[in-house]
Amino acid sequence: MPRNNTIILMLILAIFIFALWTVLPLNAERFGRKGLHLGLDLVGGVYLVYQADFAENATEESQRTNTINMAVITIQKRIDKYGVTEPVIQKMGEDRIMVQLPGFTDIDAAKRLVEQTGFLEFREVELNATEQPVKLSDYLGQEHLQFIDTKEMGDRFFVVDVAGARGEITSKTVAILKPDESGLTFISASGNATSNATLTEYGDATSWIASRGNDGTQLTGEFLSDAQPQVDTSQVVPQYVVGIKWNDKGTIYFNEIAARLYARPENTKQRALGIFLDDNLISYPQILQPQYEGGSAQIEGNFTPEEAQELATLLSSGSLPMPLKKPPLYQEKVSATLGANFIHFSWIAGLTGILLVMAFMIAYYRLPGFLASLALIFYGVLVMAVFKLWPITLSLAGLGGFVVSIGMAVDANVLIFERLKEELRTGRTLGAAVEAGFSRAWKAILDSNVTTIIACVILIWLASSVVASAQVMGFAITLLIGVVISMFTAMIVTRTLLRFVIHTPLAKNTGLFIIYRGKKE
Amino acid sequence: MIDIIGKRNWFFLISGLLVLISIISLATVGLKPGIEFSSGSMLTVKFVEPVDYSDFKQEVANLGYGTAIIQRTGAGDYLIRTKELSTEEKEQIEAGLEAKFGALSEAQFSSVSPQVATETINNAIIAVAVAAVGILLYVTWAFRRMPKPFRYGTCAVIALLHDAIVALGIFSILGAFLDWETNLMFITGILAIIGYSVNNTVVIFDRIRENLMKGISTDFEIVVNSSLVETLSRSMNTSLTTIITVLAILLFVGSTIQNFAVVLLIGIIAGTFDSICVAPGLLVVWDKNEWGKLIPWRKAARAKA
Repeated sequence: MPRNNTIILMLILAIFIFALWTVLPLNAERFGRKGLHLGLDLVGGVYLVYQADFAENATEESQRTNTINMAVITIQKRIDKYGVTEPVIQKMGEDRIMVQLPGFTDIDAAKRLVEQTGFLEFREVELNATEQPVKLSDYLGQEHLQFIDTKEMGDRFFVVDVAGARGEITSKTVAILKPDESGLTFISASGNATSNATLTEYGDATSWIASRGNDGTQLTGEFLSDAQPQVDTSQVVPQYVVGIKWNDKGTIYFNEIAARLYARPENTKQRALGIFLDDNLISYPQILQPQYEGGSAQIEGNFTPEEAQELATLLSSGSLPMPLKKPPLYQEKVSATLGANFIHFSWIAGLTGILLVMAFMIAYYRLPGFLASLALIFYGVLVMAVFKLWPITLSLAGLGGFVVSIGMAVDANVLIFERLKEELRTGRTLGAAVEAGFSRAWKAILDSNVTTIIACVILIWLASSVVASAQVMGFAITLLIGVVISMFTAMIVTRTLLRFVIHTPLAKNTGLFIIYRGKKE
Repeated sequence: MIDIIGKRNWFFLISGLLVLISIISLATVGLKPGIEFSSGSMLTVKFVEPVDYSDFKQEVANLGYGTAIIQRTGAGDYLIRTKELSTEEKEQIEAGLEAKFGALSEAQFSSVSPQVATETINNAIIAVAVAAVGILLYVTWAFRRMPKPFRYGTCAVIALLHDAIVALGIFSILGAFLDWETNLMFITGILAIIGYSVNNTVVIFDRIRENLMKGISTDFEIVVNSSLVETLSRSMNTSLTTIITVLAILLFVGSTIQNFAVVLLIGIIAGTFDSICVAPGLLVVWDKNEWGKLIPWRKAARAKA
């Protein structure tokens, strides 16, 4: 027995050293893992959950899954350009998308980045029979609503010029005329019904129709191969613009459209190509050449450098395959300073907790208590090693779970030592009492820990079924790991240490095993 | 040997009073749901300059949010709770406050839609129910070799429900005074208590099982009481170490997980009490079929006789 025990002791020591090496220093890279993986509530960041807004026709499940997966990839591409470290973009359930951006605290910018559909399309002004631009009032004056340009059967966008936030003139889509089963219907840009008052107010609004290549395909962002923010120095004041590159098909369609528009009178809206992003007109540059070489073009629009960057990101990542419902189902933003304090105080709490528990164990159980304290240190290091290597995302509640688990981890030791006391009282030798104590306590340890494990498993289910769950999941996982590892440290580590000690002269000093002095029945 | 079981009716009385107070508090004061359960938005802003509470409240009302709940969390730190805000509405509030009180930074913002709130409530209820049933089944199974294992499961579940109700009740009283809200972490705390409470009960039951097998006495009451006394220092010590760590969290970390730590603390204390004083006592009552004597006036009559 002693020789076996020495081997186990060596093994435990080896595991301990290995775990210690893994954990310390925290920021050292071990097996490709660096530092502890901290949750959003600790490092600060943005957490968003969106509901996909499927069109009614996309009811087939496989189709939905596919669309969601595509959207996740698109959002991933957009986020990647922003250099957020370790973003998490995931499908959640059937029709939701979860976005976690650690360290990124501008929640409004994050939302703009994620929730813009990013659907780019090109439109031109609708012309009537006399080649004059069509206005909203022309449609309102009709007795029976019908398209004026009968060759184009798609939506009409009615756009007016309004003063923008910086005093510049921007465009606003006031209404959309959509064909449906009952004929033609006006809706607002956000998809709701429009009032007649709004329509009459904006009678001047210009009607924009889809620009199509000669084969009838509408020119959209789908035909882009790249988009980059650029500075256009050809003008008096340098302008931020977005340079776009067409793919092969896009080049053909674009040139076909350019050739057609170029034939219209100079310096008129009729000759402009309207660039619409998510139903809003960004700009309508004049077509200056009948033919554009190399398949590249520029989008102007009084951009700030940030706006140009945002638009370029949006365009090059492609559009979302379906819109997302706004506002998000769940949104949360935590600032990083709040997180830094939490981490600091959690460490203090953890250390204080562990020291007090050790002090209590030593005061109450003397030598076995000291051995249990060693086992507790082992426990702490092993749990940290698991946290680092797994890696477990530690939220504040996760750290809380860890601290609570320190208190619970000694439970198994307490059970064993109390048992040990009783066995000694029945007159067994120290060696026999240790063995009997462990084997008898085992059943109680197992049974009692299973109930905590049941609670943890239910918590993990709860956490995976609700949206705002990072905290719950963090707590449940750390507590679960804690419970499992504490069973190991109590049953193996404390036992091995005790077995080791009873073969040393220390065992003769009965005062160290206060249990001898336990009251007799 | 200390006679705990002999005084079981006193303990039942204490326990019953606690439950009664808790239920009354829950029924009258109730629990204040956080936005995770009620939906809405919560915005924490920090001003560079200290801002007066009444001025702040007035300005928020001027901006059209007269029904918003406002809490002061520091000299220039305020928490505003409103219905669910859109991005534009939030920007409008911040711009308005900035115009009035000077530069501000947004420390925290969270917003929960009604749909998510409903889901969260439903799933939290399911989780607590499943936990109770799961534990009933487990304890029944663990004591399957005993005569009437179902009794052990039932007593363990009564004890855990008792804990959960007392924790909810005390939290509702604290909530009324300290303006505390319940959130998902609170439910997590309740579930953790459920696990912990049963943990204690099971250790005692385990000893009862062992002593019954040993046949230390033919009187079930004596068996239960000696099992209790034998495991008493274990029960106390384990609770103490856990309380130490929960206190450490409460003192050093506080803030966001404060409510969670308080729920744990109440639950651990209540759980220790009832796993020692209530659950084993119930087993004895059940064994002796003394249910009728639990009714006070009959107990009094018996005491005289």
